Amino acid sequence: MMRRSLSFVVMLLGLAVPALLAQDLTLPMKNGSVKFAVIGDTGTGDKHQLAVAKQLSATRAKFPFEFVVMVGDNIYGGNTAKDYDRKFAVPYKPLLDGGIKFYAALGNHDDPSERFYKPFNMNGERYYSFKPADGVRLFALDSTYLDEKQLKWFEEQLMASGSEWKIAFFHHPPYSSGETHGSDEPVRTQLEPIFVKYGVNVVLTGHEHFYERIKPQKGVAYFITGSSAKLREGNISTTQLTAKGFDTGYTFMLVEIVGDDMYYQALTDSGKTIDSGTVHRVGKVEPTPNRSAQPVVATSGKDAAKPAPAPGTRTAPAPAPGKTNAK
Amino acid sequence: MNVIRLLSVTGVACTLAIAPAAAQTKAAPKAQVSAATKQKAAEENANPDALVLADFQKRIDAYMAIHRAAAKDSPALKETKNPADIKRVQDALGAKIRAARATAKQGDIVTPEIQNKFRRLMYPAVQPTAQDKAAPPSTVKDIPVQGTPVQGTSGKTLKADVNETLKENTEERKEEGKQPVVFKVNASYPDDTPLPTTPGQLLMKLPKLPEQLEYRLVGKTLIIRDVEADIIVDFVPNAIQ
Repeated sequence: MMRRSLSFVVMLLGLAVPALLAQDLTLPMKNGSVKFAVIGDTGTGDKHQLAVAKQLSATRAKFPFEFVVMVGDNIYGGNTAKDYDRKFAVPYKPLLDGGIKFYAALGNHDDPSERFYKPFNMNGERYYSFKPADGVRLFALDSTYLDEKQLKWFEEQLMASGSEWKIAFFHHPPYSSGETHGSDEPVRTQLEPIFVKYGVNVVLTGHEHFYERIKPQKGVAYFITGSSAKLREGNISTTQLTAKGFDTGYTFMLVEIVGDDMYYQALTDSGKTIDSGTVHRVGKVEPTPNRSAQPVVATSGKDAAKPAPAPGTRTAPAPAPGKTNAK
Repeated sequence: MNVIRLLSVTGVACTLAIAPAAAQTKAAPKAQVSAATKQKAAEENANPDALVLADFQKRIDAYMAIHRAAAKDSPALKETKNPADIKRVQDALGAKIRAARATAKQGDIVTPEIQNKFRRLMYPAVQPTAQDKAAPPSTVKDIPVQGTPVQGTSGKTLKADVNETLKENTEERKEEGKQPVVFKVNASYPDDTPLPTTPGQLLMKLPKLPEQLEYRLVGKTLIIRDVEADIIVDFVPNAIQ
């Protein structure tokens, strides 16, 4: 009996320790900062989702994030109660049991009725916002159906949010170097002017089954984290947009906001860091019509200092640190 | 529910086997307007296509009248920790709507001329552009691709996107040992089938639906689905040409 208990403990250690040791977390991990994780295209219920979920749970021991953002495709396939269990409640049970909140956005594979599933914290809405701490607000959008009603709501919310960090998350990436999907131009056409006008700082998306950090576009930092359960190996066709791409493993992302800096770190299911850096918010930007300057500028990470212009667009140069761009 | 599922599995009127879509480009679908619509257009000096779309709107309105009447006495969807509750509410509303339109069949709402109009509306969105033909995206990795930094914006990529989803769904079903998908009007959307993408480029081409309804593109079949009742309202086979 004793021997069996011992071997059970050894087995547990064998599972947990390598996962923890593999992680090399470099975020500031400061007390009082806003910490969260980002996962995308998760709802398969397969071994890859479980592996990422396990690593995410292990990470929390070192980096105590308070909530998890899901950028869509939360439940693939069927939507029965069993599916919700297998593709969400079971993989993330340790986190859910630990009181970690998940905030979901709807992906193209999601049934809109998912918004009534309480653990997704969508309040029965296809789009919503929440404020995890003073000075930070996140906006979940339904990028499959960007109707006028939603866009009006988004503008009103942004207008009311004042000088907070404004982080939007939704499924379809406005910019992407993926061969399969690529940049979603209709989404970009509808949302980018709003991002720029109201000073959205960061956009988190999925859909593409890989990780990509896009060079800041018109002052907005874009991340794709769509490989938290599905992977399209070799699908990134590196373009001028790519600051960092990773399409050979399953990933998730950690985010920490400290004052005007947002630290990010992307990790694989084995805990290996594949990207990290900082997005610096240039001044506390109030909503400003006709904005053309940058509310954020990446200050670290590969290629961070060279924002790539989007075709046919103009990108203002980064102002000196500390200077506000508000006009 | 089981009877419905059985019906949807055995139904032969509208069987769709998910198979990779043909890669070649088809010619643009020709306009097919009924004699009645032509006559009406002549009498009213109206555009026949506008009459076709107005007819679609009228049929959707009629469906929504049934939906609203059924929803009046049904429990509303509300937040729950138990996903089975969501399904229960959908099924209760679905049963009432089904009873109210028991004889509904494919083509009642998207009539043949509306189907034809939809195919024509979507056709340009999935055709390769001149730019595609001149400079296809590079497949070489780790080398910056000059001239095509933004993808996913052309018909060719959109078509590839649709085909990729189709392939993904087919593989997913194969892995899970499932039979080809079968759709039937008034049936629930098959529980074991992924709800796939309807690319924005296509949605923009189609008439707007009330928020209780949605378009879903499953392979080449365009479905109109009642989200609140989980019912297939009608569908357009071979919508993508």
